[in-house]
This record gives sequence, structure tokens and C-alpha cells, in this order.
Amino acid sequence: MDRVLLRGLLPALAALVLAVLASLALGAGEVGPGRALAVLAGGGDDDARFAVLQLRVPRTMVAVAVGVALGVAGAVLQAAARNPLAEPGLLGVSAGASFAVVLVIAAGANAATLGPWVAVAGAGAGCLLAVGAARLRGTGEDPVRLVLAGAALSGLLGAATSVVLLLDQRTADEVRFWTVGSVAGRDLATLAQVASVLAGGLLLAGLAARPLSALTLGDTVAQGLGHRPARTRVVAMAAVALLVGGAVAASGPIAFVGLVVPFLARALGGPDLRRVLAVSVVLGPVVVLAADVASRLVVRPYEMPLGVVTALIGAPVLVAVVRSGRMPAL
Amino acid sequence: MSTLEATRPARAVDPADLATERLDLGYDGTLVVRALDLQLPPGEVTAIVGPNGCGKSTLLGALARVHGPQGGAVLLDGRDLAGLRPRDAARRIGLLPQQAEAPDGLTVRDLVRYGRHPHQGLLRQWSPEDAAAVHRALAAADLLDLADRPLDTLSGGQQQRAWIAMVVAQETAVVLLDEPTSALDLGHQLEVLDLVHDLAAQGRTVVLVLHDLSTACRHADHLVALRDGRVVAEGTPAGVVTAELVRDLYGVEATVLRDPVAGTPVVCPARRAGRRQEPRPHADPGRR
Amino acid sequence: MTATAPPAGATAPTAGTAPAPPGTWWLGLLGRSLLVDRRALTAATALAVLVVATVAVSLAVGTAAVPLTRTLPAVVGAGEPRDVLLVQQLRLPRVAAGLAVGAALGVAGVLLQTLARNRLATPDTVGLNDGAAAFAVASVVAVPMSLAPSASALVGSATAAALAVGLAGGAGRRGYRFLVVGLGVGAALGAVTQLVLARAPIDEANRAFPWTIGSLNSRAPTAVAVLAVGLAVALPVAVVLGRQLRLLRLADAVVLGLGQRVGRIRLGVIATAVVAAGLSVATAGPLGLVALLAPEIARKAAGPRVVPVVGAALASALVVLLADLVGRTVAAPVELPAGIVTAVLGGPYLLWLLLTTRTRRMP
Repeated sequence: MDRVLLRGLLPALAALVLAVLASLALGAGEVGPGRALAVLAGGGDDDARFAVLQLRVPRTMVAVAVGVALGVAGAVLQAAARNPLAEPGLLGVSAGASFAVVLVIAAGANAATLGPWVAVAGAGAGCLLAVGAARLRGTGEDPVRLVLAGAALSGLLGAATSVVLLLDQRTADEVRFWTVGSVAGRDLATLAQVASVLAGGLLLAGLAARPLSALTLGDTVAQGLGHRPARTRVVAMAAVALLVGGAVAASGPIAFVGLVVPFLARALGGPDLRRVLAVSVVLGPVVVLAADVASRLVVRPYEMPLGVVTALIGAPVLVAVVRSGRMPAL
Repeated sequence: MSTLEATRPARAVDPADLATERLDLGYDGTLVVRALDLQLPPGEVTAIVGPNGCGKSTLLGALARVHGPQGGAVLLDGRDLAGLRPRDAARRIGLLPQQAEAPDGLTVRDLVRYGRHPHQGLLRQWSPEDAAAVHRALAAADLLDLADRPLDTLSGGQQQRAWIAMVVAQETAVVLLDEPTSALDLGHQLEVLDLVHDLAAQGRTVVLVLHDLSTACRHADHLVALRDGRVVAEGTPAGVVTAELVRDLYGVEATVLRDPVAGTPVVCPARRAGRRQEPRPHADPGRR
Repeated sequence: MTATAPPAGATAPTAGTAPAPPGTWWLGLLGRSLLVDRRALTAATALAVLVVATVAVSLAVGTAAVPLTRTLPAVVGAGEPRDVLLVQQLRLPRVAAGLAVGAALGVAGVLLQTLARNRLATPDTVGLNDGAAAFAVASVVAVPMSLAPSASALVGSATAAALAVGLAGGAGRRGYRFLVVGLGVGAALGAVTQLVLARAPIDEANRAFPWTIGSLNSRAPTAVAVLAVGLAVALPVAVVLGRQLRLLRLADAVVLGLGQRVGRIRLGVIATAVVAAGLSVATAGPLGLVALLAPEIARKAAGPRVVPVVGAALASALVVLLADLVGRTVAAPVELPAGIVTAVLGGPYLLWLLLTTRTRRMP
């Protein structure tokens, strides 16, 4: 196996194990690490068994799935846009997904039986809009325009969501879940609903990895090497739509994960896209789990929205990426 | 002021004595120009030449107070430039940097009016002198007919003349131009360089940074050759430009001929000398 | 030193008077002189007329309409008591707040855009509004004093500006870097707001909520008064800076060559923008995209020769008043906050701007 990849993967895997343990052991409530670990060892009291097995295990699994999806989606989007700032949350892809859900629920659909496809469709539309607005041609000529277009789109969709919520009180209560990112209170049924969507997205991302890594050299070179940039981008965008749509359906919009994860993955495994993708699969869950654990501990006994924690982690990374001065060099 | 005087496109200026004394310049701790002693002849065109990254533009910026010196001083009429109020300095020294860009839709006249800024104030926004100076500058740059055209509708040469006219309207004794001809074709280059000659003829000290050695020889009265922030040669073009100097500066073997009309040196490069690598203190790869 | 004759057709200036450049009026007395740009003056006048008309309509329209003929007397307290109550007591303070908030945002927007040489740089995009909102919310939750929100919003927008400028390594030379760093600063400070709200007891959180969503509905009288004072300082400063702002659109080296202290001008510009943005957020919360939209309208109207400070203030007041009017009437009895209206209307415009123009070009 690739030694560079291994050097990147091993620390990531170790971090993943720690993050999973922390997620199972720590919580905002009464059940502390000692009682939780007893449960994991096979014993423990009833309260602890309930907290760990019924609440934390599903929550952790959802966080892992969402982390994989958002991490990979970020890496794919960055490669397709040739822009280290491209991130599903920043670009308005997540906002598109949650707005679509809000609209459909406001139109009368039942939130409980709503499958992930509405969110996927919204994410796809968000992708197209942001990318269209930035006139993304794979030249990476204006990384900032893409981000600003995405920020504009997010702001617009956020405002539109607020309008719907203000006008329709019933919807407001049902969709709060979709507008604020969180993995708290999610059960395994949620996960089962989106599993096939996420699997499809990962498959497409895997298929697009090789041609996408050729795209990092520029469209002309990629064409010279026998790739078809336009088709590759369509596949990549489909992968992003599936992954982000599925993630939003499971946890609501969580910003900055798609920025932080590939950034860390590049730091660990180097710039090669296939390595970045592989490391991102492991690091995505680490980041989401770490943020989730922090969200439980910072304002105990309350919990904080997960998106708030990821924004606090992500904003400095955003600044670091811009300051590194290698913006268009991806 | 009489009508006659106001219409004269050219007006003699008090010649200025511009010099550097043990001047050190640099960014972020690395010195680009070291202990430079330079005397710029008043009323003449001086061209600064040298390889990429030799410190030409940095030096020009320092002469116009854009960069402060790390050591030493720039002297204007014997006084340290850093001690002057910026406005007073701007009435004596005008600068046109490279790649100047103007807001969309601005007309030539609007741009040239900016040159009067050092002579104006909050409660002295427009005077007869301003009007006369703008008119003279437009006339000197042969832009009177184009004065009210938006800048972005003009050719590259006309735009460059408009920018120079802005500096001319400043009515300074020293005019500093950073590669004024770099993006222009041959005809437009001559347009600009003719204007430069006119400026010197009015008694101004003109300093140009030029890329092309032959152009510098043809149009400058005085040549300063820089390498690694030090003066390699200084003097009249005919006196200093030799095959040795070209090898020294650019690492290129060249034949130096005489211009059949002007008699100035013309450099015909032949091949790179050896495999010597030029140090490039400013190489800044991957950045944009 | 030969004098060549000017080309035929071009008239040379004559002695004694200062022939004003085309499109300007020259006012001179005893060696003092002012130069007024005609197009900018016309534009400002037209915008002022529109503002007055919108104020009149805003005072007349609402859940209970007051005919325009009775509105004006009611402003000064004449007419039926019901009209006076509606117009003078309920609507006038709201409209006055809208005017002040709008003007402040417009000034902040045009200053930041010129500073960054990029029209996408506004108090919302570079994080000033988020900073002001975060600190205002924190102050309400921690120190419930009536003056505190204004003061801490000011500190908040100053903090955001310092972070964005400092981390980007300057605002002017690296316009794009400033923008994205500002976006990050804004996101982090937005998260701080959420964090503070999450920690706060529910009734305090409710009291702080208005600062997270832009609206003229819940403004505090003290905040409006502080804003008015701030504006009385910031607007004249911005107008005086107008001549330097014109130059600031050129490259730094050119401005330095013309004898301006660029660093000092920048500091003045950003300080003024911070005051204007911070105090307006303390009054009405972040009104999305107003500061982007309004200066753009003002620039289109005033032409390329000037940086329209007054025009932007007027256009921005117009946008805020119209947004508030729309928000009050379009879905009545539900009231849409003005900030949401401006975001919904401004968003497509921002996208269109990104779609059609080069971001690198200065405004």
C-alpha cells in the first residue's frame, strides 16, 4: 500500500477511534464517562444503558455518516471547482437542500414521511445555481467569485426560508429541524432512510476521483490526457448533490465541514486528490464527532447547535486558506 | 496671469536636484537595493535598466516616497525627502507607477484633474492655475481633442499618454515613470517617448524604468544599470553600453551596434552566456 | 522650451477666472473655491425627493391608513387625535429610525467598497454587521442597560473590522483576500451570537433576538438617539473624505505620488464605516445587502467622477424605508422584517452582479 497514504491515514484512524469513544462516553446529561464506559464493557446501570445505547450510539452513527458525506463532498467540490474555498455550506448547496425541504413541507407534505430526495434535489439546484453564478469553467480563475456567489445564494435562501416560516407557523415548528444543523435526537431510522443516497454519492465520487485528479492540471491538459472535463464535472456535481442532500436530510445543514476536512486531509496526505478523498473519508467523521462532542460540553446542561461549533472551527480555517496565498494553485 | 502665458503648453520649471545617499531598500528583511549613491542629472532623461528583480521599480518607488528607505536617504535639493510633508513633496516629484488602473467611465480630463490634487485643498478645490495646468498637460500630451472621452474607449498609447498627462498636470520638477512603454506597440511607444523628451526639454528631471536596453539607449540622456541592487554602470548610453555590460547584466552574449540614424548603441543578443544562473531575489512563484 | 499653439477648436482657459471643468459648477470667493459635480448634485436631489415621497407614504400607510392630506398636519400634531396617534406617535419614530439606519448603512457601504476597491465589500460581507450583532446580543444577555447595545455594537464592529483587516494584511491591496477573510470573521462572529443565545435563559434570548434579524419594529429609542449623534459626526466626515475617496479608487502608488497619506485616509475611512455600521446594527439589527444595493444605485445615478457619499446615504434610506413599507403591507397582518425583505430583494441582484461583472474592477 501507498506509504504516503498510510502516513496520512494512520493518525486519522487513531483520531477517529478517539472521537467515537468520546462521543459515546461524554454527554450534556448526567451519564459521565465512567458509567458510559461500564456500559461499553457490557455492564452499567439502566440509565447509563439508555443514554449510551439508545441516544449516543445512533447519534454517533449519524455523525459518522454525515461526516463521511460532507468530507468527501467538500473534497470533490474543491477538485471540480479547482478552488480550495469551495464548500457545500459556503456555496449554498446545503442552503438549497434545506430550502427545498422547507418549501415542500410548507406546501403540505408530511415532514415525518419525507424521504431524502427532496433535499437531494434542492442540493442539486443549489450546486447548479452557485456554479452557474460563478461561471465555473474549471479554470479556477476567480476563486473568490464562487465563494461570494455562494454566500449570496445562502443569504437569499436563508431569507426566503425565514419568509416561509414567518408566514406559516405550522411549518415553522416542523422544519426547525431542517434549518439548524444537529445530530442530536437522530435515530437509526433516519440513517436507514439516507443510507442508499449516501452510498450512491460515495460510489459516484469514487468513479469521478481519477478523472477529477487529472482536472487539477487544467481542462486543456486533462483533455490531452483523454478525459472529458464536462462529463467529469457532471458526475462530480451529482455526487456532491447526493452526499450533501443525504447529509442535510439526516442532520440539517452543517457548514464548514467540507472546507475543514479536505484542508486537514491535504495537510496529512499531500495534494493528490485520491489520497485527499481517502483521508477525508476518515477525517470527516472525526471533525463532525469532535464538533458534536464540543456542542454537548460547552453549554452544559444545554446543547448547542452543531453548525455553530463547525462555524467556529471552520472560520479560522477559511482565513488560513486565504492567507496561505496558494489560492488558485489547487 | 496673462492669457498668453496660460495657453502656453509648456512652462519652464525650477530644476530639481534629486539624489540618493547610501540608500538601502527592501521588503521583509531582505535588502533589494544596497548602499546606493546616485545623482540624477536635472533636466535630462535618465533611464534605469537591469534584469528582472534588480530593484529598478523599488528604487523608483523610493524616489517617490512609495517605499520608505531601510537606511540612507533620498535627497531632494539637498534635503531628506522623508522630512517633507507628502503634499509638498508631491508638488516637486510626480510618479506614474506600472499598471495604473482607473475607475470605469472616467474621462481623460477627469483623470488629468487628479494631478492637481497636491495643489488643492478642501476649500480650494479649483483655481485658475488648476484650469491652466490641466489645459497645458492635455496639450502637451496632445489629448485636447480626446479630453472628454472615457478613458476605457481609448487605445493603449492614448491611455498611457493620459496617465502621463496626469503627472504632467502635477507640474513637478521631477517626473518618475515606471515602464511607461511596456504594454505598447512600436508606434505607441514612440508617442509616449516623444512626450518624455518634451518634458525634459521643459527643464524637468525625468527618470524612467525601462525594460528594453536599446530603447533606453535611444531615448535616455543618462543611463543607470542596476544588478542585485547595485549600480553596475552609469553614464551616457554611448559611453557605458558595451558587450561586457550586457553580459554582466543579463548573462547574454550580444553584439552592440550603432543606430544608423541616432548613433546610439543597439543591442543584438546572440545567446546566453554559459549556464550561469541569475539570482532572483524577487522570485515569487505561485502567488497571484 | 517652445510653445506650440493649441489645436484648433480647443479653447484655452483665460486669465482671472477658473473655467470649471465640464459637468461641474465652480463657486469661488476670496481665493476659496468649491467644485460641485452637476450630475452628482442632480442625482442626490432626485434621491432626496424620492426619500421625502417615501416618508410621506410610510407615514400614511399601515394597518389603519391615514389619507395623505391628513398625514402632514398629523405630523405636527394637528388633526384628529387618532391620526396624530398613528402618525406622530407610532409611525414617525419608526420612519425616523429607518432614515437614520438607512443613511448609516449607505455611508458604511460606500466607504468600505471604495476602501477595498471592490463593490462586494460591504458591512455584511466583511463581517462588521455580524460583529456588531454578536456584541449587542452579548451585552443584552450580560449587561441589561439601555445604552449598552449601542456601545457594544460599536466595539463589535470595530473588532470585526480589525480582525478582517489585520488577518487579510490590509484592506486595499488585496481586495479579494479582505473579502474572504471578512466572510470568515463574519461566520465566526455569527456563531458567537448563536453561542450566546444558546447559553442565555429563554427570556433574555428573546430580548436579544431582534439584533439577529434586521427590523425597524423593535428599535430602542436610546439606540436611535445614539445613531443620530453618530451619523451627525460620520456623515460630515465621510463627505469631507469624499475628495480623498475619489483618489483611493486608483492604485496606492498613484495616490502616494499625489501626496496623500494613504494609511491615514484608510484609517479614517474604516473608522467612519465602523461607527456607521455598528450604530445602525445596534438600532435595527443587520439589514441584509442594503449597503451593497444602495451605493450601487447612487453610483449609477451620480456617474463615475465622484464617490457619492450623500447619494449612497439617501439611496440607502430609500431602500430601507421601502423594504419596511413592503414588509409591513405585503403579507399583513403578518409583518415581514425589513432585513428579510432586503435580503430577498438584494440577493438576486448580488447574484446578477457576480454573474455579469468582473469582481476585480473597482466601483
